[in-house]
Order: sequence, then structure tokens, then C-alpha cells
Amino acid sequence: MGEVELSCLAYVKMYLHACLFPRCSVNGLLLSSSPAGGAVCVTDCVPLLHTHLPLAPITQLALTQVDVWCAQTQQRIVGYYQANACVSDSSPTPCALKIADKIAEQCNNAVLLMIDGGKMSPDYRVPPIVMYERKDTRWTLKDKHTIMLRQWEETRDIASQLLDSGDHSLLVDFDSHLDDITRDWTNQKLNAKIAELASPANGNV
Amino acid sequence: MSFLYCLNPEKHKLRKWREDNHRNSEQIVDVGEELINEHASKLGDDIWIIYEQVMIAALDCSRDDLAWTCLQELKRQFPGSQRVKRLAGMRLEALEKYEDANKQYDSILQDDPTNTAARKRKISILKAQGKSAEAIRELNEYLEQFVGDQEAWHELSELYINEHDYGKAAFCLEELMMTNPHNHLYCEQYAEVKYTQGGLENLELSRKYFAQALKLNNRNMRALFGLYMSASHIAASPKVNATVKKANVKYATWATNQINRAYQLAGRGTKENKCSVKAVEEMLESITMS
Repeated sequence: MGEVELSCLAYVKMYLHACLFPRCSVNGLLLSSSPAGGAVCVTDCVPLLHTHLPLAPITQLALTQVDVWCAQTQQRIVGYYQANACVSDSSPTPCALKIADKIAEQCNNAVLLMIDGGKMSPDYRVPPIVMYERKDTRWTLKDKHTIMLRQWEETRDIASQLLDSGDHSLLVDFDSHLDDITRDWTNQKLNAKIAELASPANGNV
Repeated sequence: MSFLYCLNPEKHKLRKWREDNHRNSEQIVDVGEELINEHASKLGDDIWIIYEQVMIAALDCSRDDLAWTCLQELKRQFPGSQRVKRLAGMRLEALEKYEDANKQYDSILQDDPTNTAARKRKISILKAQGKSAEAIRELNEYLEQFVGDQEAWHELSELYINEHDYGKAAFCLEELMMTNPHNHLYCEQYAEVKYTQGGLENLELSRKYFAQALKLNNRNMRALFGLYMSASHIAASPKVNATVKKANVKYATWATNQINRAYQLAGRGTKENKCSVKAVEEMLESITMS
């Protein structure tokens, strides 16, 4: 199908989410601030859960709240990501397929992204992600050549930097928000930090 | 004297984390490694339990070097101990040498068939290998013998949830609620499972248990949102009569007000969560309009 572009911001937050909860399966939503039509540009993500992914109430709640926030900020939900607790298995679980199906109802070229836990160490030079798109009614593997990450090396370095400095603990997912509602699941603080590291002033173009 | 004074807060931290069963492994490694390296001689008999605690934390952080050191000290002090054998098994698990780990545990069980720790480690190995069906089967067998093991019941409920077997997950949570009637988390998890199962009867049960969780802890936001959602769905169902509908609208409205209050309070402190506060406000407005 179409091309998908993954922004630095979206990738770094997804990656840090998986790193923050290494013993759990985690999931989240992929957002786009670009208009529909043409390539899918994933410009941001919202980390959702790290507990009880298959259970309905909190997932429904989160989807509703993110929907509302997207409407307020001119974004759209364009996809779903998940990282399985079991590192050796990065295939989409039934709950991943279910949520992705729901998203696809509203968004034609929605994507389902699985983070491959086995390939997250610094030894791997390529992004540890596997993407799926909807063909007919099934989610099929996307051709790697249609997936773009601009400035992958800088993105990867930013993620490592934040991990090393311990700043990944700034990340708030929806689960953490429910534990303490003063914490912001839109992650404005972390976004700012990432933007700072990605800016031209830091030598990144 | 000042040397000893420095140790106490660190020792106290480690003990508190032990007692609360916190899995803050990075912190434990930080604090524990320094204590072990710099102050081992001054820890007295506490050092052995600290070695055990730090070793497990080290395995969690892939610090095999530190884990190995702790293990050697423990082996030397307690040769032939089953407890130390189990730790050696855990190290093998961390290195993904599952066959060797299983052999360790099997040898413990040969000497002592009632050793619950070894049995549970074997089940953990099945889980790590992705063999959920077998893990579930073994855990069920274990629970037939050790019916009071809360940790095991909870683990089983998690396994069932991941397999989407909500009926059986609910059963496990019912066991836990029976033996821990004041635990709001079990009530709330049970309510979530019932909600997920769906259908009017399950929704009504879920609403009751969300309410019960709130009674036990009125700051449980998941329970509050759960009450709001379950009551809203029941009220919106074409299958309920006017009385039931009215009652559920009342519950949902009450929940809405509580949620609004909680978010107003939360929003006062920082600018940070303005976005999330706004999102909730709008979401709740939609129910009061319908």
C-alpha cells in the first residue's frame, strides 16, 4: 500500500515506553498531525498501558480520551504499537489485532507496529520494528522499503541518550496517569526534551 | 562511629524494599553494590540476606558479574543449601539456560518435593519460553496442593487474562477476593474482567465491584472511571427497564462529578496536565448531554 513515515518523536517515545517497562507488554497509539491522504506520517504517539492489555475498560477509556485530545489538537489516530513482554515473540496478539481493527475503521491506511524486543540492543543497526498494514481484512507484513525513518542514526542516538541519562522515567503512559492523575499522558515535558536534542543547535540537521 | 551511622539509612532502605517486595532492581543494585563492596565487614549477619536480595536484583538488571559475586559468597557460607541452589537456578534462567535451570530445580524437588519455590520457578520458565498452556496447567496442579498461595492465584489470573480466558481469570480473582476482602485492587481487577466479558449481567456485576473497590479506596481512579463506564453502558442498553436506567444514570452522574472534582484538584498544581484535564472534561460532557 502506501508509504509510512515515522517521526523521531514517535519512535523515541515508543522505544522509551518499552524500555521503561521491560517486564511487561506495553502498547500505545500512533498519531498524525498531517491531513489524510497520501503517505501516512506518524508524528507522535501516546503510550497507553503496561498492565492487563487485553482488558476492555481502561483501553476504551484511553481511546476515548485520546480521541478527544486529537480533536482538540488537530491530530488523528493512525495506528497502534505494541511490545510483547516475551522478547522471543514479536507477533501481534489478538488484542493488538482487535484494537488495530478498531482504528482501521476510522482510518483507511492505519498501521500496526510491533516492537521487536530481541533487536533493541545497541548492536542492531536497524530500527527494531515490524509493521503491518490492512489488506482486505487481514493484517499483512508491510514491505520494509515503504517505511521511512528520517535521520535514523540521530533518532537512535537520542533514544540512547535519554535512556542513559535516566530521562526515560519522565515518560508517562495512561496507566501511570491513572495511578497519579497529576501526571501528563501527553508528555509535554518529554516532548520538549526530545525536541531540544533533535534541534539543529545540537548538531542535528 | 560516623561510618556506622552512614550505613543505617542504606540498610534500612534495603530492608524496607525487601519487606514491601518492591521490584526496584536498579535502585537495589545501586545501594546494595556499594554496601557490599565498601562495607561488607560492618554488616554483620545481615550481609547474607543482602547478598540474596542484591543478587536477584542484579539478575533483573543483567548484571551477571554482580550476581555471580553474591552467589559465590552465599555458596561458601551455606554449602548444600536448597535456598542457594534455587538462586543458582535463577541465575541460569537469567542466562536463558533453561534446561540447566530445570535440572537444578528438579534436584531440589527430588530432595524436597514440597519445595514451593522450586516448583514456581519451573512454572516461570514455562512462562518465559512462551509455553502459556503448559504454565497454566502446571500452575493449576500446584494450586490443587497449595490452595492458599495468593501469589500463585494472582499469577494464574494474569495468565488467563493473557489467554483471553476471562471466565477462569474471574474465578481466580474470586478466590483472591474471598481471602482478601479488603483489597480494592482485586475488586477492581475482577470488575475489569467482568466488563470485558460483556453482556448485561456481567456489566451489572462489574459496576457493583467497581463500586465496592471505591468503597475500599475512594481514590482508585480506575474504579471510578469503571463505575462511570459500566453505569453508562447499562443505562444506554435497550434491554433495561426505566427504573434500572434511571438508577444507572444516577450512578454515572455521581461518578462524573467525582471524576471532575478529582481532575480539578489535580489540575490546580501544575500546568503540566492541562491537556489531560481538558480531554476528560470534554469526554464527561458528552454523557451529561445524552
